[in-house]
Amino acid sequence: MRLLFLLAVLASVLATPALAQQAPYLPFYSADTVRVHEMAVAHRAAVQKYLVTPKSVSGEYRDHYKRIAQEAADDVYNTVRYSALVDPVLNPYVQRVFGQIRQANPQLAAVQLVLSRNPEPNAHAVGNSIVMLNIGLLSRLENESQLAYVLCHELAHIQCAHMERGLHAQLTRIHSKELRKEFKRIVADEYNISSKLKELALGLSLNSNFHHRQYEKQADSLGYALLKRTSFDTRQAYRALQLLDKIDQPLSAEPLALGQYFGCANFPYPLPEAPAKPKSIFTVAAPTKTVLETTDTLKSHPDCAKRMRYLSELAQGQIADGPTAPTPEFARIVALSRLEAVQSWFDYDCYDHALYEALQLLHDEPQNAYLRSVVTLSLYELREHLLKHDFYEVVGNVSKHHPDNFNQLLTTLTAWKADDYKGLVACFAQNAPVAPAADEYAQAAAYAAAKLAAEPRATALQQQYQAQYRDGRFAKLLFPKPAASGKKSIR
Amino acid sequence: MLVKRILLAAAMALVVPAALHAQTQTIDGISNMRRAALSPIYAGNEVKGYVMFTRGDKADRKNDNYLLDLYDQDLTKVSSITIQKPAGYTLLKNTFNGSAFAFYFANGKDQTLEIETYDTSLKKLGSKVIGDLSGGDKRMLAAQAMSADPAGNGMMGMNLIPVPGLGFVRNGYTGAMAKGYTLAIYDDKLNMHWRITSDEKSKQYESLSITEAADKYLLGMMMRRDGLMSHKFNFSMVALDAKTGKKLLDMPVETSPTEQLSLSSFTFDPSTREFVAVGEYYKLDDKPMVNKSQGFFVKRFSEAGKVVSAKNYGWHNEVAALMPAEAKASQEDNYVNFNHAVVKGADGRMYIVAEQFKIVGDGLGIAMKALGGGTSVSKGKIANLLVFELDPQAKLSNVKFFPKTVTNAEIPPGAGLMGSSLLGMIMKAQGDFDYQFLQKDDANTQFNVVYLNFDKEKGEAAKGYIGGIGFGNSGKYTTDKIELNAGPTYSYLYPAKPGYVMVTDYYKKKKQLGMKLLKMNI
Repeated sequence: MRLLFLLAVLASVLATPALAQQAPYLPFYSADTVRVHEMAVAHRAAVQKYLVTPKSVSGEYRDHYKRIAQEAADDVYNTVRYSALVDPVLNPYVQRVFGQIRQANPQLAAVQLVLSRNPEPNAHAVGNSIVMLNIGLLSRLENESQLAYVLCHELAHIQCAHMERGLHAQLTRIHSKELRKEFKRIVADEYNISSKLKELALGLSLNSNFHHRQYEKQADSLGYALLKRTSFDTRQAYRALQLLDKIDQPLSAEPLALGQYFGCANFPYPLPEAPAKPKSIFTVAAPTKTVLETTDTLKSHPDCAKRMRYLSELAQGQIADGPTAPTPEFARIVALSRLEAVQSWFDYDCYDHALYEALQLLHDEPQNAYLRSVVTLSLYELREHLLKHDFYEVVGNVSKHHPDNFNQLLTTLTAWKADDYKGLVACFAQNAPVAPAADEYAQAAAYAAAKLAAEPRATALQQQYQAQYRDGRFAKLLFPKPAASGKKSIR
Repeated sequence: MLVKRILLAAAMALVVPAALHAQTQTIDGISNMRRAALSPIYAGNEVKGYVMFTRGDKADRKNDNYLLDLYDQDLTKVSSITIQKPAGYTLLKNTFNGSAFAFYFANGKDQTLEIETYDTSLKKLGSKVIGDLSGGDKRMLAAQAMSADPAGNGMMGMNLIPVPGLGFVRNGYTGAMAKGYTLAIYDDKLNMHWRITSDEKSKQYESLSITEAADKYLLGMMMRRDGLMSHKFNFSMVALDAKTGKKLLDMPVETSPTEQLSLSSFTFDPSTREFVAVGEYYKLDDKPMVNKSQGFFVKRFSEAGKVVSAKNYGWHNEVAALMPAEAKASQEDNYVNFNHAVVKGADGRMYIVAEQFKIVGDGLGIAMKALGGGTSVSKGKIANLLVFELDPQAKLSNVKFFPKTVTNAEIPPGAGLMGSSLLGMIMKAQGDFDYQFLQKDDANTQFNVVYLNFDKEKGEAAKGYIGGIGFGNSGKYTTDKIELNAGPTYSYLYPAKPGYVMVTDYYKKKKQLGMKLLKMNI
């Protein structure tokens, strides 16, 4: 009997990971913010401790330094407090890779890695103790070695004290006798003060960008050296830069099949013909580049092509020049990161981006219940903002910097009317029905769909959600407490 | 940072990345903001951008730097033009004729006017100083400077009208008392092609207001009267050949044996090649624009000037029969209508947008007057909006009533004696009406009326909202209201791309100006 019991326990233990792997992933959420608050406080203190006001400088320099140091500390607090992702899967994974790098490079200072829910593909270092990695960047990498190089690059910034050096260089220039003299001369000169000050500021900015580009080159170089000491594949450093060079490209460049998702027999798609892109009457050309201007003069980072050439030299041609198939483990990390990035766009009220990313992923996973919930919730929120007349806060403009299919979505969102949303959501549910899920996302989406359709069951769904998820992810968004409103006249 | 783009460094939760391309703009360092500093740029019917005219620092001993900041219809900054001009420059009007932008300035110090033109890449095309201003011109300029919307296309004032394919038409006044008119057309490089002037020998006062360039015509309304102070107006419909300036039509709005007519709108319908005149009719003994009108009329004329059809719609007869029940109380409460706009849809239906107003005694004003104060003893009351819909045969088919909160407006002392129609025009010039503008798409299928409901008498302390009324080819009338939030020192409302309005919020303490595009649910 005891043996049978032991066997049963063993079977259940063995079965649990298998079940967990099969269960659909849902973005991490915890109503308990104590841990991230403590992390944020600790990181703020670390930045404050690091950025010590220098003594042998002018009073103005000191005040300026203090202000920047305080802003940097506050920024770190806010970033960690409101965006740190402390989930049980992705965070431990990136921490493990980070730990391997540090283990292979014991000379490195005590630095902590913070995984951020920021969906922008980026990473950065702050002070002498924090590396921030955005989920948006993790979702765009192909393997662990590329991740390791990204982290090595940021560690190199810390090792070289780039933040402090950059700050000192900039403040030394700003508070230099020459610049003060120049500033006084401009102000004393009665005429064209504004354009002269602009020129002066541009000079400072170009100077600062030049130094930043130098720092990036150093970080690429030292980062590569740090990577070499690990067991990761150093050839992937080059490939990481190659990916960054194309980071603005979408997952898929194909036009979004909006009519197929959001039109059906009961509610014909409201825009049978694609709305025309807004045309400008202006034909102002971009300013012509002077001979002296290189392609990255105005950028804080060197062009990726330059960095790739440099890294290729460092690696003596030992580079991975092209895509590599991810391991199943890393493929899962990427897949989960993408879902977290979608949720982040949503949480930051960027419903245009959330909808776009969710639709891109749905193309390959049409039955993904979480993504379908995000689409429904995004549509619901877009309509809410239309009704509140602050649509401009959640939907961007068409821009030449966006992928074509994102511009297609923006043009469409601008053309849809508040009355269209009921049909859009109904058709979306009808066109690819999925088995009803009982998770928070599905329940929130069910409420949103019912509310849009003005179904009486919306009240019951609201009560159900609030009973089950009192401090849930969508509790404040979907059921806000009415706020006292003040009004002002307009002329 | 690792990537090439300048991205969000910190406090992501507090910053929205999409705002990088949002339909908003925030400008710092603005020490003061007047409504006229910003004006929409139209291409055809639609708003395609904005120009902001600001004075910067001193350029040299004599000149200041002025900035013309140009934004597209989505509020994306396109470019800036810096011009050096003497102090006291004001932008009277910006306009676009499809190939060139024209900026029309008044130089207050030198008492001159100036036009500058730019192509669509904002390369300067031409510049012209107009120095020989008449006394009438100067009077009009002074009045325009005091108007609520100096760039507005009122009946009077200095204006510059775009003429696609030809250039720009500028109007002017002759004589010290604006007895006559002048018109001149300039091409995109500001070479003058023709100029016409009213007959100096004419005994009557004549003012010609060009309203639009349509097809091959320049259309306008001529107002004639016997003397400067005369309240007896005669209206004519005028059509000029845009290429030559030759007068092709100058036809009085005929007065029948039973009534006399005033003209509110004169347009050309290219689909039927007919001129369309809309206005109000009065009793034979009444004075148009002084007494209360009896109703409105629609007359259609062939290109040769022959009457094709003429229909009258009396307020108490045809209009009352179609008036919704909720509107009747205000009609019986002695409100009169002021016609703001007349538009024709692509499907042939015509819409006349009117707003109710009346003059009442002002208790406080009367008391102040008794105590020797100089305030008006009357005040204006602005009530509801009406849309009169006419079918393609110009038959009144629908009257829509849009209730609003009644608001008050100050009127000038003595204006209470003027008569309702003339007073309506004064209130319009003062910006007292709630109606702000009518937006239409290029295809003439969708029209939006935008109004602002707040008490002008209470000024900034009043609470209000932006209202929108949509109508057009769909046959449906839709409405929307936008509540205004507290915070800004001033807010101004501007036309925007179809379906939107643009609101600017100025914060005096922060010296900050915010611009945003609000999508209307209409």
